[in-house]
Amino acid sequence: MSAGLSVHDFAVVSNEPAADGLMRIVMAAPELAAALRPGQFVNVRVPGDASQILRVPLSFSHADAAAGTVEIVYAVVGDATRRLSEMAPGATSTAVGPCGNPWSEVVGARRACVVAGGVGITPVVACARMLAGSGVAFDAVVGAQTAGRLWGADVLEGLGAGTVAVTTDDGTAGRRGFTTDALADLLAQGPYDVVYTCGPEVMMAGVARICREAGVPCRVSMERMMSCGFGACATCNVAMVDGTYKSCCKDGPVFDAEEVAW
Amino acid sequence: MGEKSVSMAVDLGGVRMQNPVNTASGTFGFGSVFEDFFDVARLGAITLKGCSAEPWAGNPAPRMCEVPSGMMNTVGLANPGVRGMVEQYGEYLAGLEGRGCRVIVQAAGHSVEEYVAAVELIEEHCPWASGVEMNISCPNIARGGALVGGTPESASEVVRAVRPRVRRPLLVKMAPVRVPEIARACEAEGADALSLINTINGMSIDVRTRRSRLSKPTGGVSGPAIHAIAVRMVWEAAQAVKIPINGMGGVTSWQDAAEMILAGATSVTVGTASFYDPTCAADVVDGLAAWAAEQGVTDINELIGAFEC
Repeated sequence: MSAGLSVHDFAVVSNEPAADGLMRIVMAAPELAAALRPGQFVNVRVPGDASQILRVPLSFSHADAAAGTVEIVYAVVGDATRRLSEMAPGATSTAVGPCGNPWSEVVGARRACVVAGGVGITPVVACARMLAGSGVAFDAVVGAQTAGRLWGADVLEGLGAGTVAVTTDDGTAGRRGFTTDALADLLAQGPYDVVYTCGPEVMMAGVARICREAGVPCRVSMERMMSCGFGACATCNVAMVDGTYKSCCKDGPVFDAEEVAW
Repeated sequence: MGEKSVSMAVDLGGVRMQNPVNTASGTFGFGSVFEDFFDVARLGAITLKGCSAEPWAGNPAPRMCEVPSGMMNTVGLANPGVRGMVEQYGEYLAGLEGRGCRVIVQAAGHSVEEYVAAVELIEEHCPWASGVEMNISCPNIARGGALVGGTPESASEVVRAVRPRVRRPLLVKMAPVRVPEIARACEAEGADALSLINTINGMSIDVRTRRSRLSKPTGGVSGPAIHAIAVRMVWEAAQAVKIPINGMGGVTSWQDAAEMILAGATSVTVGTASFYDPTCAADVVDGLAAWAAEQGVTDINELIGAFEC
């Protein structure tokens, strides 16, 4: 069970475009900010439409205990995230959290790589902060469909990433192609002790395969449709290789890539 | 406000609850996960996620989607089995009973034999439970997936088989079909109380992919979208039988709960609301007490079925 799991009030500090289709919200929620660990998520009530009853589960990029704020970079994909994007500074609502388990650090790891695709960048930035704080050297791969949708490469550089490889599907920024290609090249230059990834499931499956072939442990952050975010509804199941299901919200969202039935 | 003077205790067919508020099976886990949000012992009862004799894996993802004023699910009664539930949660649940909150264990099955096996395990392994709720809204595998309790005849058959094996109060969780007839059939076979409504079967199609938005063609609709239907069915059931009704369906506030009581429910169950408003059930306890006081009664039982047309 997450320490401090509760319904937290928050107030919007800022809510601005981060890239095409991506928004960056900073919310003031001191207790939540202090309780969150990188890789966990929050389940946000977005006001404005009583007919949309469920919360929106969102990963965060930075939980700043000192400032009492939580930063979330989110994609505007439906009605609820559109309404979230319209919340002005000072607007208030609630968030359930901390939900789920944090990224697991690998004991003795000295070199890591983080791989982000699309809005998967959000928990990957949180992961990079964790690695920087623990003194683990890391490289990064950041992929997006096109240059306009990229966010976070400069943030990762600022956090001390060695190499930051950028890929876009259309070649408008960085290398044309997929994050998996860039990861394979980085792995060829030298081993990592662990790889952390979040992005589209097909991308994470590719990252997991490359890591398995290279004998590198891989941690993935999974996404599912879910109702509660804290283990009550049993709707966010992830299929495991042993034939069982695990809960994305309570057993995850971070899994060992070897456990997941891709 | 004088709220203290209202007696809130109710008797749900032998399950003696300190107040009328219960939680719906499948929306409250096994209770413990909500202790982070509020003192679960404040509730009248909790109803556990349905358990079968053996563990069930449930359906593939996606198991849920949103619909206006509600959601749909096709969890497929994923559960750890009665023994698995007792291993993981037995100690907590026995403690919860000791703290004053009644625990109702729900039995699930796909056939009469599976229900019998589940309730026998519950009788053996759950001495702490105040009641057993049998969910007869499951598909009967041997009968091509028709609901176990989809007709008065099939409901009678399964209640008749299970009743002699349950020494505690037996609640029957009905499918939202043919309510008066099935309610009477369950009462005739010795059910101590009726729980209704279960989710209403629905469909949601992604028009671009032409696929169901769930991993199965259909799923159960829950939430405020079904509340008015639920109130009507609770009222019909209360007219049809003398045994008490455990009313549920889209209850999100004390006002919704009060409606259920006026329609004839002895206890009121919070379901889907707990997913997005985790303290909802506790808030309903407080709101009902204030409402009863405002209505000028000294006992909440005076308001059961007090609907005036």
